[in-house]
Amino acid sequence: MSDHTTHHNHEEHEHHEDNFFSKYVFSMDHKMIARQFLITGIIMGTIGMIMSLIFRLQLAYPDMTFPFLEGILGHWGKDGKLDPNFYLALITIHGTIMVFFVLTAGLSGTFSNLLIPLQVGARDMASPFMNMLSYWFFFLSSVVLLLSLFVDGGPASAGWTVYPPLSALPKAIPGSGTGMTMWLIAMVLFIASALLGGINYIATILNMRTKGMKMTRLPLTIWAFLVTAVLGLLSFPVLLGGSLLLIFDRSFGTSFYLSEIVAEFAGGIERTGGSPILFQHLFWFLGHPEVYIILLPALGITSEVIATNSRKPIFGYRAMIGSILAIGILSFIVWGHHMFITGMNPFLGSVFMLGTLIIAVPSAVKTFNYLATLWKGNLHLTPAMMFAIGLVSFFISGGLTGIYLGNAALDINLHDTYFVVAHFHLVMGSAAIFGMLSGIYHWYPKLFGRMMNETAGHIHFWLTIISAYCVFFPMHFMGLAGVPRRYYANTAYDQFNVFIDMNEFITIAAILGGAAQLIFLANFFISIYKGKRSPQNPWNSNTLEWTAPVEHLHGNWPGDIPHVYRWAYDYSKPGADDDFIPQNVPDAGQVDPMEEPVGLPVSHKVAEEVSVA
Amino acid sequence: MKILNLLSKISFIMAVMFSLSLRLNAQSADEGKELFNANCTACHAIKDKVVGPALKDVSKRREEAWLLKWIKNSQALVKSGDPLAVQVYKENNESVMTAFETLSDNQIKSILAYVKAESEAPAAAPQNAGMSVGTPTNVDSSSNFETGINWLLFIISILLVYIISLVFKILTRIGDIQGKPVINWNQVNSILLMVFLVVGMIAVIWEFAVHGKLTIFEAGSASAHGVEYDSMFMITLVLTGVVFVITQILLFWYGFKYKADGKRKALYYPDNHKIELLWTVIPAIVLTVLVIRGLITWNTMMNHKDEKARKIEIFAYQFGWNVRYAGVDNKLGAHNFREVGVMNALGVDTNDVNSHDDIITNELHLEVNQPIDIAFRAKDVIHSALMPHFRVQMNVVPGLPTKFSFTPTVTTAEMRVKMSKPEFDYVLLCNKICGGAHYRMKMKIVIDSKEDYAKWMSSQKVLVANKVASTAVALNN
Repeated sequence: MSDHTTHHNHEEHEHHEDNFFSKYVFSMDHKMIARQFLITGIIMGTIGMIMSLIFRLQLAYPDMTFPFLEGILGHWGKDGKLDPNFYLALITIHGTIMVFFVLTAGLSGTFSNLLIPLQVGARDMASPFMNMLSYWFFFLSSVVLLLSLFVDGGPASAGWTVYPPLSALPKAIPGSGTGMTMWLIAMVLFIASALLGGINYIATILNMRTKGMKMTRLPLTIWAFLVTAVLGLLSFPVLLGGSLLLIFDRSFGTSFYLSEIVAEFAGGIERTGGSPILFQHLFWFLGHPEVYIILLPALGITSEVIATNSRKPIFGYRAMIGSILAIGILSFIVWGHHMFITGMNPFLGSVFMLGTLIIAVPSAVKTFNYLATLWKGNLHLTPAMMFAIGLVSFFISGGLTGIYLGNAALDINLHDTYFVVAHFHLVMGSAAIFGMLSGIYHWYPKLFGRMMNETAGHIHFWLTIISAYCVFFPMHFMGLAGVPRRYYANTAYDQFNVFIDMNEFITIAAILGGAAQLIFLANFFISIYKGKRSPQNPWNSNTLEWTAPVEHLHGNWPGDIPHVYRWAYDYSKPGADDDFIPQNVPDAGQVDPMEEPVGLPVSHKVAEEVSVA
Repeated sequence: MKILNLLSKISFIMAVMFSLSLRLNAQSADEGKELFNANCTACHAIKDKVVGPALKDVSKRREEAWLLKWIKNSQALVKSGDPLAVQVYKENNESVMTAFETLSDNQIKSILAYVKAESEAPAAAPQNAGMSVGTPTNVDSSSNFETGINWLLFIISILLVYIISLVFKILTRIGDIQGKPVINWNQVNSILLMVFLVVGMIAVIWEFAVHGKLTIFEAGSASAHGVEYDSMFMITLVLTGVVFVITQILLFWYGFKYKADGKRKALYYPDNHKIELLWTVIPAIVLTVLVIRGLITWNTMMNHKDEKARKIEIFAYQFGWNVRYAGVDNKLGAHNFREVGVMNALGVDTNDVNSHDDIITNELHLEVNQPIDIAFRAKDVIHSALMPHFRVQMNVVPGLPTKFSFTPTVTTAEMRVKMSKPEFDYVLLCNKICGGAHYRMKMKIVIDSKEDYAKWMSSQKVLVANKVASTAVALNN
């Protein structure tokens, strides 16, 4: 239906093709926008990672001085000693960058943009212009956040969750001055970007599928992106509202989140009648779905990569869709598990606990389905496949500790300790990063038309998984000893000081992990120019993006958009010539794409065998 | 001879006086150390800037009289326009130093004596005496990072990376020439997956054996509900542990076993509703068990009420804690956040009769086996009171009353024996990010026997002593 109009658009655009700005900067082509999201995300990720290494140094060597810190941080690292307030700023900005700028925009932005039109068979997004705006809002947001590092008082320092009153009152912590204002502006811009993108993704998936691309034939990546976009669309506006109220409290003297605070501490006006817990409700109403906004695209990518490289259909396709939907719906009724000990009514705690533990069921189904897909497969252990296997491993390790934290009773002693740090860095941090890296290795040929170096990819994988486990696994034990997160040093506590060796070990592992990412960065940027040229379908994959030519065309396919005759997972179908049947290949006798496939495609080797079957 | 005699007498007297003064100094420094740790460490250290400036050689920088005034009430000094006070206030980001009007001149002097003694102590001494830092605090170790050897190592490692990449390049070339790759990454990866699984599982066991001993579960719970907590934890640990081991083994084993070898074709196996139903229902049942058990634990912890419970208030501020005991009447006096100030740190309403016998301290003493109801109150931002040994935590929110009730069951002395650590103390620590000195915001908890508790309590001052005495008299009449 929209075939005609988009095709028309595409012809219109061809006239502007040559202009440098319209091609590389203000591009409306979804593939270019995907590259822009990816490269911005990688740059932000590198910055976030360097920050984590700086504060890891402090945690491992609380009594040492590092003169180079003064060189890079100025007065925040006076005499080579990290300032406690700046330590908090670093963890805050590290969290913000990683959660929002890398794992939301960098992951979902990149792959939703790249894959949605290509995999559903559309010429571009529903609104290429909004898509461009989405990137530029994200870019502006990144710039504002990074600039906040240089303002007086330092960047926001109240933790990435920015709970008021700490984040509302500049008297409480230096970072709650200009730095916090800029954090909020960055967040408002970011939400605008996420919403512009999300509406587009949903519209494209629902309206612009090619003929024969039924919802039940969509690759799981697309299902994951669809649910992700819906989650974002429903939850980001709540954070926007929450942020605006916080801006009012900070700048206009209101008291939405402030109660019983004397005038002297609150900038000259007595604040009373509000509730700090209200902000937490608004924040986590986004914050928890946000976890799945991060994780679902990674799981979608993994489903695709595991099926392709196992040369097997994904096990339980409908169960996978069901579990994506179940996770998406449940994610809206569990936000309270971040707030068990805020003093909220214990009955409410019971309800949130119930919802939280139920989420483990669809998550378990997904894990078992991945295992069943691997079972009796014909595994091609490419870098993408290795990262996908790594994701499943992290998803298990980190997911299981969620059963402790989702239990309101157990949360009493574990809340805000290193156990939580270990949990979410495994299940959300490492797992989602592995999903993202898996996607990069898998779709690099589609993004840049070249292959990445495989050897470097394998070395990168092994160093990364080893260092990630070495960093995060021991942290569970610190948490079980009661070591709180966000402590500048544990030197004031005898019973925590015993972990100094462990902290040192973790920091060394983190530095190793950081060094491993250099291999990736080199591989990524060098391969753009020097990588081996990629064939059209390097992984023998079924999905539609590999039927498009390697060179990027505005409009994706030179001729008509291919029609779809089958689901995306006909790998190793008995009787077929190859171990894959692309979605655009009809079965023998299948004329209408909407019909269900009945047998096998016409064999170019033994046509008789098909007619017998 | 007379002169000699006189001289010897004088010298003797001087010697005695000197030794006395030394002892005096030592004594006051000891007292100072205690006071310093109780009142100052939240914001100050000797050699490091925390929230407030580093205190090293403070007595050389400032007059003692000025210091006395400043410590007692810095804001009054700032408002009086004292130029030095204004300068210090501005230099420290206008953060207000808590007023210590309750400290006597002598107490402050002993704190200063302690600071002086610490300032002069050699650099190798622990930075904060009394918090015996477990690791050597080697101030000069920074130079380690800048010696030639490190640069050499750095260069060597870069060379190594370069050489490795060259080797791989050459291998790839050879592979290209021979027509098949020299390293079969499918083979290598599958073996590495198994190695990773085995080494990883051994590492996990090692972690449990070694670091498991450092967790709070090793010594057992020190509260009544904690026993329930620990058993809930162990049930979860066993169930998740089994799932962890099985799924990880399957994952890595499949990665190893089903690697492509060019001979096999994958099994086309898209669906099996029975199996899927099975692995939906089984986790659901297991989780139902966990949910029910968890709800029981949660509700017994949160909704337990005891008529005899003693009422206590814990008050949090940047960066420290206070405790208010309800006194004989077991009723906490009313409070008003507007009254919080230098004279009345907790903003207690002294017009309320209930407040007269309240007792305010900065250590939490509790009687063993005596249920308590704690009400939490914060002055400025959100804090969280974590008492890991008791399995107790509750956020402390300004303007929103929160509470937690529990019964401590093991005295400090018993726990010291149990852990065979004679210096062990229970601790309450802040567990919600609250500002620069968040990481030092703690309070000592002492669990006393009944007698010790009564003795300690009687040594504490009630809030409005004369009124308590007069009501007692009135009652007697």
